[in-house]
Amino acid sequence: MDQVLTGKNLSLGYEKGQDRKVILSDLNFQLYSGQLTCLLGPNGVGKSTLVKAILGRIRPFEGEIKLLDKSPVDYPREKLSKKLSVVLSEPIIPAQMTVEQLVGLGRTPYLKWSGTLSELDRKYVNEALAATKMDFLRKERLGELSDGQRQKAMIARALSQDGEVIILDEPTSHLDLVNRHEIMFLLQDIAKNQDKAILVVTHDLDIAIETAHQLWLMNCGSPLIAGLPEDLILNAQINELLPKDRFFFDPKRGKVNLRSEDSGWEIQGSEDLVFWLEKALRKRKSTFRTEERIQVLENPFRIQVGDRIYHSIAEFFEESQTSLG
Amino acid sequence: MICIFIVNSMKTNQNAFFFILAAVALVFLFLINLALGSVSIPVDTILSGLFTGEWEKSSHREIILNYRFPKSLVAVMAGIALSLSGLQMQTFFRNPLAGPYVLGISSGGGFGVAILLLAGSFLGFSGMVISSWATAIAGILGAVSVLALVSLVAWRVRDSMTLLIVGIMFGAAVSAIISVLAFFSEAEALKLYTIWSMGSLGGLGWNQVGLLGLLLAIGAFPLLLATRSFNALLLGETYAESMGINPVRLRWLVIISTGILAGSITAFCGPIAFVGIAVPHLARLVWKSADHRILFPGSALLGAGLLLLCDTIGQLPGSAQTLPINAVTSLVGAPVVIALVLKRNFSKEF
Repeated sequence: MDQVLTGKNLSLGYEKGQDRKVILSDLNFQLYSGQLTCLLGPNGVGKSTLVKAILGRIRPFEGEIKLLDKSPVDYPREKLSKKLSVVLSEPIIPAQMTVEQLVGLGRTPYLKWSGTLSELDRKYVNEALAATKMDFLRKERLGELSDGQRQKAMIARALSQDGEVIILDEPTSHLDLVNRHEIMFLLQDIAKNQDKAILVVTHDLDIAIETAHQLWLMNCGSPLIAGLPEDLILNAQINELLPKDRFFFDPKRGKVNLRSEDSGWEIQGSEDLVFWLEKALRKRKSTFRTEERIQVLENPFRIQVGDRIYHSIAEFFEESQTSLG
Repeated sequence: MICIFIVNSMKTNQNAFFFILAAVALVFLFLINLALGSVSIPVDTILSGLFTGEWEKSSHREIILNYRFPKSLVAVMAGIALSLSGLQMQTFFRNPLAGPYVLGISSGGGFGVAILLLAGSFLGFSGMVISSWATAIAGILGAVSVLALVSLVAWRVRDSMTLLIVGIMFGAAVSAIISVLAFFSEAEALKLYTIWSMGSLGGLGWNQVGLLGLLLAIGAFPLLLATRSFNALLLGETYAESMGINPVRLRWLVIISTGILAGSITAFCGPIAFVGIAVPHLARLVWKSADHRILFPGSALLGAGLLLLCDTIGQLPGSAQTLPINAVTSLVGAPVVIALVLKRNFSKEF
């Protein structure tokens, strides 16, 4: 596990004429090979700025970024592309291109002017296709793939570029739930098996916690917090991502939850059942107050209020409109 | 039967098959183009004349060697040049409607020639003594300067629709200046310019054909060196940059190459519409590929063939007069572009 990319006391932003607009300051981070790292933070916090700096497109005002032995801005363009590859959220897709050709494009920095792949290049392409399980689609045209497959093909392309670092900017933002999981687990595998340092910018906290080896949390005005997802949950630092007055991260459920106000009810029963019933009550913004004891019972599921029994939450709501109102 | 056999055996290498087919069609069209005209000359007479150097009639020799052969060559070269510039513009601007015409390069070329022919009398040289060399240089300068202006804007906007509008605006502005020049110029000069603007593949001597060939080679050479970059650019500038491509260098390469290719053709032959836009799309349809290693030669072959075909159609009426090439290409090219636009998902399949 080597540090491939490090940031020390970084201060980043944009220059317009004489004006310097600092967007991020005092950033410190380490990206390790063999690990999947997820960068989380609200919109506008400067995630893209950080990514731009890592890609060598902007020069830090202060501090330093080091990719292996030098700063990304100091690499010649072609050298940098052999160290670092990217996947963006919405790629421009040439529909006529096949998956194989797309992955072959990843070899661009290694090719001569004509763009003809050598045996070695082809080996890398095959390996990238195998690693992303896209083998069976290699002759398929990009226009005929699903969004998820297309994004996997883009990941294969980034992989065939054979850099130490892969940066993905919201790669799953327009994919469905299953594909989001699949892609993130795929990235986890690639990081582990191929010893790549993978940085994913994402908004998907659930999946990030599920898959990432490291989390980087960014929030306005506070320093970047890095750590194991589980550590961040246990020491409650993960709450830094959330507006504290309204939301909190429930470590038991591994989910973001609304802060509960005082409720006008009391429910007894096993914890899981109470959780879901309360959730349903809160969703209704239920105004009902009751002094009666509500009990949830298992096997089969039922709700007991006084001597009345309901067999589903829906039934309980229906009845309670009239009787409990 | 033979056809079916060829198709089957080539299924593994369809690309090569289409290349051979296109090349055969090109040779065929070339010979037809040589044979047809106000006087039709049998193909075998032409072939024996060309290979042995002995002609039955000296008039045939005269027609073929000094008129039709250079004209057919010019058609081939113009087809290649316009298609290549159209293809690189479409990839570079990632816009399926880009081409030398839309972005004002051809109007730029026209502007250069107009200044030379129309404003010549103001500037102190008569329209009659201007050599074709001067026309070519004026055309290239005009084309490159308009393209440079457009790409200067492209530099700032980066949005292809805006760029398209800017290109059309430049074209309109340049046309307006040409109109003003035309209004004040003399009848002789005006006629020269009007004829030039209708486009013509013929009337060039071997010297000019040679120069055109040289310019074509100079303009197309950078494309050979940048095939890799064009392929990477298919994914957009950010991806291309992440793969080590220098977009600034590529931008200038496109500007210079398109300026020379489209500019010189416009200068020598006048504006020739639609070939630049339509042929790259045809090539994409035929080869079903986005790879520039296939699309560059493919577009060149199809472009040469299409222009030969258009030229042949233009002289079919049988009289000594030929239709202006610009009108014929528009008549053939417009339906192609319309059909493509009406096709579903056109912009995504680009």
